[in-house]
This record gives sequence, structure tokens and C-alpha cells, in this order.
Amino acid sequence: MILKMKYKLSYEEADRLIEKYYDGLSTGAEEKQLQLFLMRSGLPEKYQAEQAIFGYFDQKKERKHIRMNSYMRWAAVAAVVLLVVAGPQLFVTAHTSNYAYIDGKKVSDIREVRSQALASLGDISSSKDEVQESLKNINDTKLIEQQLDVFSK
Amino acid sequence: MRPIKKYLILTLLLGLGSILPTLQAQTDLQISKVFDQYGERKGVVMVEMTDEMLNGYDFSLFKSLTIKDNPPAADFIRKCLVKDQAGAKKVKQVVTNGVATSIYLQLPRKGQLYRLILFNEVFNPEEKITLVYIESKNDSEDVLKLILKKK
Repeated sequence: MILKMKYKLSYEEADRLIEKYYDGLSTGAEEKQLQLFLMRSGLPEKYQAEQAIFGYFDQKKERKHIRMNSYMRWAAVAAVVLLVVAGPQLFVTAHTSNYAYIDGKKVSDIREVRSQALASLGDISSSKDEVQESLKNINDTKLIEQQLDVFSK
Repeated sequence: MRPIKKYLILTLLLGLGSILPTLQAQTDLQISKVFDQYGERKGVVMVEMTDEMLNGYDFSLFKSLTIKDNPPAADFIRKCLVKDQAGAKKVKQVVTNGVATSIYLQLPRKGQLYRLILFNEVFNPEEKITLVYIESKNDSEDVLKLILKKK
């Protein structure tokens, strides 16, 4: 809002402020206003001297710098996109690890780790035999007949 | 909202949405507490393998825990399994003397991953608990068949 007001400075007002400036009577705010006015493009040539005094060319450089910032902003966006897309992959890769803890001690030897993993799977699959054995016993008609015989006696 | 912010938020959401289910698949389960609590204790064997081919098993994640002579641990695991059963698609259970000694849970898929929890407890020659958690891109039923066939 302030910027807009400053840009609205008319040539007459600018001339008046320049005069005040040369007389050493301008305030800091007025000088800033003047500086913003001199940054405007398409100003008449008569303002060239003041533009040089107020560092217009420096401001131009600064504007270039602002453009650089916008490039950097896009670069940051690209970096974030890369991080979001590729980061998790890196994270997963970083966490791709095979290890075992045996009695609280970490073991990284892959053969040992595999052997422990297979052992635990063996424990699970052996339980299947217990189930099948139980089922077999239940289906065993001879066993059932034997048990029923106890009641027929 | 400025376009850059929109793109950023969209990208972040997409990225998180695609990766979170696979990264956090196990942490939503109660049994993750078992691995955390008992994994590094004495008398316990804990195994963790990621993206491994294990004698024909293609696992994205394999975790197992073997605990000997620790009835409180067995009770704790059973309690955790009761909670995890709530979302399970299929449950196989063997009860011996009123206590669940063998439990197989097929959990709902998390992203692309099929998930299985296998629990077994034997008392002879000593009390031994085995808890296995598996994440695989293969159908959990096929993985289960493969495991049970391997003996």
C-alpha cells in the first residue's frame, strides 16, 4: 500500500522533493519516496543525475538480485520435489538392513541372521505338524472306536 | 494461495501418501511393542530382514522374535494379538488347555503390502515363544502356504 502511494509521486512533487533534497531540507521519508520515484522506468532524461545520486543503478543491480532470488525459490521448489520423491527411497534404502539381536547382542553377519530367521520360521511351520497331528488323531476312526468301546463295556 | 505453495503442498502430500503406508506398516500394530520391549533382552533372539529372499520367500520385511521361558512375555504377546486380531481378515488359532498356543493372522493390506503375524508357543522340551511378522508383495495366503510347506 505504501509502495503504491510512493509510486504515485507526480513529476511536480518529485521536482519539489529534489529541490528540498539539494537544499538539505528533505526528511528521510521524503528521500526514500524520491528514491522510489527515481526507480521508475521511463522517466525523463532530466532525472538522470538524481537517479545516479540516489543509486538507481545500484537498485537495478538489486532488482537483478531479486530475480536471482526467484530462481533460487524455484530451485528450492525443485529440491523439495526431489527430496519428497527420492528422499523416501533413500530413507528406505538406508533402513534396508538385516540384523539380529541374540541375547541383547547385535549380529550383522548375514548367514547368522538368515539362519536365525529360518529357525524362527521352522518353529512356526513345526506347529503346523502339531495341528495336523491333532487333526489326524481326531480323524483316526480306530482311536474313536477304542474310546467308544470304553462306554460299551 | 500462491501457485508455488500449492505445488509444494500437493507434492508433499503425494510423496507422503505414497510412502507412508509402506514405511509405517508395522507401527500401527500392537506387536510392534513386543519387538520394542523384548527385542534386545537376554534370552531373546530378534531378527529383522528387509527386502530379502529367504529360501524362496520374498519378503519386504521379516521380523521374528524367539523368547524362551518367559510366560509374562507370552501373555503380553497374546494381549497384543487380541488387539491386532480386530482388523485381521483371517484368523487361525490353536488352543491348548484353554490357552492360544498358535495364532496366524492375515492382516489387511497396507499399500501394496500383504501382512502376516504368526505366533507359536511350545512347552516341550522348554517353553518357547516364536512371533513372526511378515510384509510381502506376494499374497499373504501364498506366503503362509509356502512357510507351512517348508518343514
